[in-house]
Amino acid sequence: MFTLITLYSTIIPISLYVSIEMIKFIQCAQFINNDLNMYHAESNTPALARTSNLNEELGQVEYIFSDKTGTLTRNLMEFFKCSIGGEIYGTGITEIEKGGAERAGVRIDDDEDKRSATAVHEKGFNFDDTRIMRGAWRNEPNPEACMEFFRCLAICHTVLPEGEETPEKITYQAASPDEAALVAAAKNFGFFFYRRTPTTVMVRESHVDRMGSMQDVAYEILNVLEFNSSTRKRQSVVCRFPNGKLVLYCKGADNVIYERLADGNYDIKKTSREHLEQFGSAGLRTLCLAYRDLSMDQYKSWNEKFVQAKSSLRDRDKKLDEVAELIEKDLILIGCTAIEDKLQEGVPACIETLSAAGIKIWVLTGDKMETAINIAYACSLVNNDTKQFIISSETDTIREAEDRGDPVEIARVIKESVKQSLRSYLEEARRSLSNTPERKLAFIIDGRCLMYALDPALRVNLLGLSLICHSVVCCRVSPLQKAQVTSLVRKGARKITLSIGDGANDVSMIQAAHVGIGISGQEGMQAVMASDFAIAQFRYLTDLLLVHGRWSYLRLCKVITYFFYKNLTFTLTQFWFTFQTGFSGQRFYDDWFQSLYNVIFTALPVIMVGLFDKDVSASLSKKYPQLYQEGIRNTFFKWKVIAVWGFFAFYQSIVFYYFTAAASQHGHGSSGKILGQWDVSTMAFTCVVVTVNLRLLMSCNSITRWHYFSVAGSIAAWFLFIFIYSAIMTSFDRQENVYFVIYVLMSTFFFYLTLILVPVIALFGDFLYLSLQRWLFPYDYQVVQEMHKDDPHEYSMIRLPERSHLSPEEARSYAISMLPRENSKHTGFAFDSPGYESFFASQQGVCVPHKPWDVARRASMKQQRQQPQRTGRS
Amino acid sequence: HSCPMVLRIAELTSFGAGASASTHQPNSKFTQQELPACKPILTPKWVISVFLLVGVIFVPIGVASLLASNKVVEIVDRYDDACVPSNVTNKLAYIQNSTISKTCRRTLKVPKDMKQPIFVYYQLNNFYQNHRRYVKSRNDQQLRDASKANETTLCDPEKTRDGMAIVPCGLIAWSTFNDTYTFQHNTNNLSIDKTDISWKSDRDHKFGSDVFPKNFQKGPLIGGKTLNESIPLSEQEDLIVWMRTAALPTFRKLYGRIYVDLKENDTITVTLDNNYNTYSFDGKKSLVLSTSTWLGGKNDFLGLAYLTVGGLCFFLAFAFTLLYLIKPRKLGDNNYLSWNRNSAGH
Repeated sequence: MFTLITLYSTIIPISLYVSIEMIKFIQCAQFINNDLNMYHAESNTPALARTSNLNEELGQVEYIFSDKTGTLTRNLMEFFKCSIGGEIYGTGITEIEKGGAERAGVRIDDDEDKRSATAVHEKGFNFDDTRIMRGAWRNEPNPEACMEFFRCLAICHTVLPEGEETPEKITYQAASPDEAALVAAAKNFGFFFYRRTPTTVMVRESHVDRMGSMQDVAYEILNVLEFNSSTRKRQSVVCRFPNGKLVLYCKGADNVIYERLADGNYDIKKTSREHLEQFGSAGLRTLCLAYRDLSMDQYKSWNEKFVQAKSSLRDRDKKLDEVAELIEKDLILIGCTAIEDKLQEGVPACIETLSAAGIKIWVLTGDKMETAINIAYACSLVNNDTKQFIISSETDTIREAEDRGDPVEIARVIKESVKQSLRSYLEEARRSLSNTPERKLAFIIDGRCLMYALDPALRVNLLGLSLICHSVVCCRVSPLQKAQVTSLVRKGARKITLSIGDGANDVSMIQAAHVGIGISGQEGMQAVMASDFAIAQFRYLTDLLLVHGRWSYLRLCKVITYFFYKNLTFTLTQFWFTFQTGFSGQRFYDDWFQSLYNVIFTALPVIMVGLFDKDVSASLSKKYPQLYQEGIRNTFFKWKVIAVWGFFAFYQSIVFYYFTAAASQHGHGSSGKILGQWDVSTMAFTCVVVTVNLRLLMSCNSITRWHYFSVAGSIAAWFLFIFIYSAIMTSFDRQENVYFVIYVLMSTFFFYLTLILVPVIALFGDFLYLSLQRWLFPYDYQVVQEMHKDDPHEYSMIRLPERSHLSPEEARSYAISMLPRENSKHTGFAFDSPGYESFFASQQGVCVPHKPWDVARRASMKQQRQQPQRTGRS
Repeated sequence: HSCPMVLRIAELTSFGAGASASTHQPNSKFTQQELPACKPILTPKWVISVFLLVGVIFVPIGVASLLASNKVVEIVDRYDDACVPSNVTNKLAYIQNSTISKTCRRTLKVPKDMKQPIFVYYQLNNFYQNHRRYVKSRNDQQLRDASKANETTLCDPEKTRDGMAIVPCGLIAWSTFNDTYTFQHNTNNLSIDKTDISWKSDRDHKFGSDVFPKNFQKGPLIGGKTLNESIPLSEQEDLIVWMRTAALPTFRKLYGRIYVDLKENDTITVTLDNNYNTYSFDGKKSLVLSTSTWLGGKNDFLGLAYLTVGGLCFFLAFAFTLLYLIKPRKLGDNNYLSWNRNSAGH
């Protein structure tokens, strides 16, 4: 009985595992890693597959969870616009405005030549306005405000200068790119911050009354009140001018600064507020700048409290905050800055393609809601026709509860409101889905509400609503929440999920999803190290999913079903034989045939299919993104598909066995001699090998010369093997059953007639099925094939851009894209703004190393270290 | 630190720095997956042509095979029951009793003219020569090589007799078929040519010309034919034929040839020794006389299969043409794309 069962061991061959591993490995190492469509020439970063297990899942992704900063956006903060004293400066147009205008049908010329001579574009600074550049601000109506504005930018920060102390060579090290951009802006406006010592900030000011004169001014930094967005959302510096004047400079979020402004100047406050909204809707990040003159007495009394608070051992942070409140009041508004968070190249187009492919994209970001919505808009995730469901913690009821200050009460109010809105939104979404199914829905929720929505009681509603909506934006979420949302969909919806991110705060999300993708090249390596695939740009997702993923899925489906088929066919012939041996467990085939069947005679062609099969070309895959839905629906690995293969395996095995076995009853050839068991089994095996290899060719969508080689080679290998094997008598084989068998067979007409007949009959059914299926129920890819069957073969070979042929623009962006990598050595953390995310990091107990004081301390250490070098050189 | 790691990985994947990118040629057609390929599409034109082609090839082959098979004249005479006297109730005891003469006479009528050579086969039914333990019960080295006469592994249960190795050992040899036939035609004895009834490769290579039977059929239980100990195994053709085990439990084995032309309605008298015991397992024994053609013996199966497939192909070619006319589908019709079908509101 046991012997009988071991006969069927070939049904699950070990070579399936080996072949699939091999195919996946080559797909990764050769195709994904070397694809020029995913090679970022500017940063010299190819795509990198860090695991070879997930290729086919790339072809079935239904949900993408994307980080915003560094993934959708470049994490390049550029000082873009500003508002000083109620006047907007800066003529640039953001990508978001461009995208919006293009959707509205307006073409915006982005001609570099039109830029004025004063335009400066360097790292962190992309600004042009003749009114204030090159000292022209002195002629503006409000030069004093301008000066305060620039000085505030130059002094109120925790940036470290590095390198030679000239405006061209210096680089700024900052905990956030925003800060670096602001300091770079100050530099370009003529307030060049070039050195920091533990107590002073050196600024080379080129303003003073006469044109062209430079003056190095040392501002003594008395106190730094650090940025901490959760509660403070502002940063202040108390400094002493060389003439002894004490000034507090403050920058921070608009609402916080406005609360602390002195009375009066309503006009400026009002226009600045309008400007802030304008900037915000353009997707710019805004900060308000303010200052306050301090008297010596005021400062002294305050400083005592400050020192006391700083040296307290308990609740130091809280005490410091309280002390800061005392001095950050009666501020005078100077203006506001607008920093552009640049979108990655091709992001809107990529997202549009992915949506057409049936993939739903969720943005999970630590940014504030307005910015997140703006980015979603710019990325075509949300448009004017989209119905938005917003759950925000910034509602009046919640604010009221917050004012009362009872944390339990706050939690209850938020939970109640989240519960209500979830329920009503869910109903509304269902209604909308049934009434106007083509209308797009978007769901936007902030981290605080999400915390309550993820509660087990509300989770079902949250999932239901999220799955109905076409896009979901979660803003101000912590890394943990990112992971929670990802696993909510992964486990709740049982769909293939993909997370993409670039920073350390995305690691948990990347690990929670089926497929994790890290953006390589920009920030630190944490995301890449945690990921399964690393790509340089978000837009490469199109190629990774729609081309590589889809192909891998198709290929692996084909490989697995084919393996199933060929082994089932093979094993079933054995099975039929069993019935006629009195169930004694006699093998139909020689041991060597059986062992080598999967290893040699049918091994290579299926690997070729796993590597080369393409239903439609890469460009068509991207042109018809809907083809990707076949993967999402798992069209090619359903029970139905397997059943069809199984049925034909069954049919073929009957043909193989009975057609060859029937022949053993009669004499063959004019000599009248009779064939024996091993003649029959060799005949059957020959038919199996030929048929199974030809069947593979029938299921190929594209047949390269490698297919021909491997199929012909496999069949030839069988004949070569049997020619040699039946010609020799090995001492290892005590029974020379197949000795001379093939020569005996080949001396009969029967052999040749059967060799033609049996494969044709065996493949007859498959051929009929394939023809009918294609004609009556074509798959999408088959229709696309037909549409483009007369297209010339595409050689869309991309040549690497020669370095010397880079246009200045490309060279510049290359240079820029090279920069952050150097930075990342020092910063490491992927916090796009000091505060917004570090708040969550600190909440999660993650250590945030870049406290302003650390920066200052490191500055002093660095200077000491660099000292001997400098003297040596001079 | 982790950053240089990226660069190293990048270099490993043959990109390297800008300079090496141009020299390394990573953008081969292989890695870019743009190898030239033929993209077969099963259009109706193709389907119909393939069916027609197969039909055109198969029908003539089928006709030829069938004609050849029809030319073969075959006489099958089952004799296992008839050759036991009707008064015997225990057939097993009868066949095992070696003292009784088991000669039996059969008369065969020639249905059609039979051209020489006429092949004489015996056919056994329900004899599992392919049983696992039967198939392996032989030792090919012993059969081939006189010096390995004591090599009897796998030969269970017919390995040794009184401590001496049996040559040829094993169940297969032990059970060699031992009915004998003599033919008379119009009172003339027909001589049976019993040479070259086995495959030459077996005689030359698998059975040694210096290996002689030893201790064979000396046990209490006699399985079948006894071998002349003075004739080497390579000339014991009945044994060689028998030892090429059959694939199915119903099989024929060549007994000999008759080089005489037989006329229609001739009668042949067969005198046979009914020695072989198939009664213990309800096996049937038949004697077969058959002529042969280029294809071999009577084998309608091959011809019919060819004809059926060829005919079916013609039919399907016709059916597909009809389908093509009745339910035409424009190739590459946009409306067949699933996303267009859905939005069209079907």
